[in-house]
Amino acid sequence: MKVKFFATYRHLTGCTVREVCAPATVGDLLRAFAEEYGDEMRRMLLSGAGDDLGPEAIILINGRNILHLGVLDAPLQEGDTVAVFPVVAGG
Amino acid sequence: MNGWKGTILRVNLKTGTISKEPLNRQWANDFVGARGLGTKYYVEECSPSIDALSAENKLIFMTGPLTGTLATSAGRYEVVAKAPLTGTIGAANSGGKFGPEIKYAGYDGIIFEDVSETPVYLYIYDDVAELRDATELWGLNIHKTTDRLEEQLGEQFAVAAIGPAGERGSLFACINNDRNRAAGRGGMGAVMGGKKLKAVAIRGTGSVNVARPQEFRRDAKKARDMLLAHPVAGGGLAAYGTEVLVNIINESGALPLNNWRDGSYMETADRFSGETLADTFLVKNRACFGCTIACGRVTRVSEGPYASFGEGPEYEAGWSFGASSGVDNLAAICKANFLCNEYGLDPITMGATIACAMELAELGAIPEEDIGFKLRFGDADAIVTLTELTGKVEGFGEKLALGSYRLGELYGHPELSMSVKKQEMPAYDGRAIQGMGLEYATSNRGGCHVRGYLTSPEILGIPLKTDPLVTKGKGALCKLFQDLTALIDSSGMCLFITFGIGLPEVAEQYRAVVGSDESDEEILLKGERIWNLEKQYNVAAGVEKDTLPPRLLREELPSGPAKGKVCELDDLLEEYYAERGWDEQGEPTKDKLTALSL
Repeated sequence: MKVKFFATYRHLTGCTVREVCAPATVGDLLRAFAEEYGDEMRRMLLSGAGDDLGPEAIILINGRNILHLGVLDAPLQEGDTVAVFPVVAGG
Repeated sequence: MNGWKGTILRVNLKTGTISKEPLNRQWANDFVGARGLGTKYYVEECSPSIDALSAENKLIFMTGPLTGTLATSAGRYEVVAKAPLTGTIGAANSGGKFGPEIKYAGYDGIIFEDVSETPVYLYIYDDVAELRDATELWGLNIHKTTDRLEEQLGEQFAVAAIGPAGERGSLFACINNDRNRAAGRGGMGAVMGGKKLKAVAIRGTGSVNVARPQEFRRDAKKARDMLLAHPVAGGGLAAYGTEVLVNIINESGALPLNNWRDGSYMETADRFSGETLADTFLVKNRACFGCTIACGRVTRVSEGPYASFGEGPEYEAGWSFGASSGVDNLAAICKANFLCNEYGLDPITMGATIACAMELAELGAIPEEDIGFKLRFGDADAIVTLTELTGKVEGFGEKLALGSYRLGELYGHPELSMSVKKQEMPAYDGRAIQGMGLEYATSNRGGCHVRGYLTSPEILGIPLKTDPLVTKGKGALCKLFQDLTALIDSSGMCLFITFGIGLPEVAEQYRAVVGSDESDEEILLKGERIWNLEKQYNVAAGVEKDTLPPRLLREELPSGPAKGKVCELDDLLEEYYAERGWDEQGEPTKDKLTALSL
């Protein structure tokens, strides 16, 4: 599956897109990223003991916000596209 | 009189008479200021049946009670007139430093009447207000006009001016102050140009009294601290500007492509995103008066065919010249946007009108000889060439200067104008973000995103997250956002504060400045009163009913999370009208108007 990074997440990861094997849930994916990229990544993506979505993350699976898909329990499968954004706004 | 100077300046351009009159305090209380107060003055003085480009149309510059104070991001003023593009009430607000100078010079607002025989500009330095000859400024673009006036008068003067587009009557000409801040939508620049009023140059040395200074300092600091601590208002917008929305709206399947014809996802949208702008052409960010957010972009394209320097683009302009026109060349998008700031054009309508022309040309509805070249989606040179022609109102630009609805009508396809009430919708697909479809349909100034920005809860999750594909509950949310926006626009603060603070913080600052003891709910009710006043005017003016272009109601999105969706407008409107207390035709009832003291 494909993961796209945007805005500050590009600086944290040093990439715009990468291919990964799909874990069971998006929570598993974010926890793996927190492990790989370190404390700042963990602070932005996750809160609590890693059981809740962090306040500075908007995560889409195939364009749908995970808040409408079960949040961190949202299931993933090969072929999905996950997009990782900080909280952004404009208009 | 706290929050106010107590004086309105009235300028008759035909006779050259300039007079001062006391501010109507009851109206200032009931309609807050800026957008609301300007509209109240307007509807009391102008019949809804007048032609927007006639001498009878008045042009009102109005500040809010918080404009020029230390309230958060409180540098805004509103321009009000009947809008030439839509025939609706026109109200367009702008930031920069111009609004506060009106207050510091001793005025709450300026009302322009009738038409001058020759080009003039209004000079104001505190008590001194006079009309001066502008023959030598006529024909200059906005930047050169501002340069010239600053050279003559000094850089302490703030200048609001029109460019050639306004002089020559483009229906979507804007008024720019401080060069690149625009009262952008609806054609306020055409009204100003029709009056032969080239510019207003203003300097003030006064201040604004605050009713409860200690309370105000506390409340303003609290609000400012909240904004600074917020990841968007305190960091994201400064780093990436509003163009940061390109990727998230695109990934959400809501970035309309090729005049909304080919779905709402563009494979290469990242090429003109806020991230790419920050990595390429961004020189620095810029703040308006008293603003901690600093979302403005100073940008330079250093080389190549689109080499240029200016400000922007904002997200909506990036989209209109970008995905809407099938273009992903950021340098060309910057150049087209800069041209809008120089000639004085609303970039949303400009890009969307070019996109409409592209579709008409691909259909064969516009003969190639009318345009002068073969026009197709994706043509980066075309967005620059056609913007320049429109700015000059020359050649095919004369037709583009009418906006997309009249262009479509001329060539037999008005349904291809992606507009509401003849004003082009901006960069969010109402099929993928249902609430935005409702907001476009019901906006009192035609297709517009900043009358009730439901993208914030539907996509961005600010201040709460709602599902963009669900219609239930959107009527109530739309009403709340529209009323709150009317209040904030009328206060003199910038709408962007709502990314970090809400009604309680707005109301606290308002109360402290004007000396009010009204509750949050009573203050919000003024927003609802303003919305209904605008609607009442539109009904009397015979403005068409609330609807959307047929494409959004009948053509399903072909891909993405909203695949197969159209905008469910009937359901949305039914709930919305019920929430508003209006009848089934979408008009305010007598009971509702009475309850709002209208």
